[in-house]
Amino acid sequence: MNDADLELRRRTYAFFVDHGRAPAPSELGDPDDVVAGWRRLHEEHAVVLNPATDELRMLNPFSVVPTAYRVQAGGRWWYGNCAWDAFGICAALHADGRVETSCPDCGEPLTVGVHDEKPDDESLLFHVLVPAAHWWDDIVFT
Amino acid sequence: MNLFRSEEHIARWLGERQPGATISVAKLVELAYAWWDDRISPDWRPHTRDENMAILERLGLTGAFWELA
Repeated sequence: MNDADLELRRRTYAFFVDHGRAPAPSELGDPDDVVAGWRRLHEEHAVVLNPATDELRMLNPFSVVPTAYRVQAGGRWWYGNCAWDAFGICAALHADGRVETSCPDCGEPLTVGVHDEKPDDESLLFHVLVPAAHWWDDIVFT
Repeated sequence: MNLFRSEEHIARWLGERQPGATISVAKLVELAYAWWDDRISPDWRPHTRDENMAILERLGLTGAFWELA
């Protein structure tokens, strides 16, 4: 990953955190150059694009689109790509927060607060279905 | 990568599928902080595979299931 792509990634994340939404390519520079850079970053797993549209899909741990994992942190609501990423949003923002989701089995609402890097409900469990070696085979499914 | 109420709920959700790995939410939060802490830092650089494996190993997440590509 070269310095120009690192800088594009940095500006993409900064825009997302500042505005609470993903930038359009034209908001970061020449649209063709920005999309070409995003594609390279996608190949390096540094951002995730929707392959059909070249729009941003994930800025891990943030999801650009609504998901089952809502996170309140840093004075704003966000979406995480999964439970791991949801808590990762608190980590990335260096902020306490609250994760809201539901049990995939029974649909019961689940809420976990995070204070000083600790969950306030330790009764819940996290299950990973896909082995680590295959996480990036289909990151949206993972 | 989901949160569940209990082992019973995981088993019912899995049905006939092979289970993956289950950890406590406390361990998950620890993992999340180790993994994502630097993600929006201006100085962020891509983690190497070895760096990520070291995080997993430090948290006791070892064995074939946790072996990164």
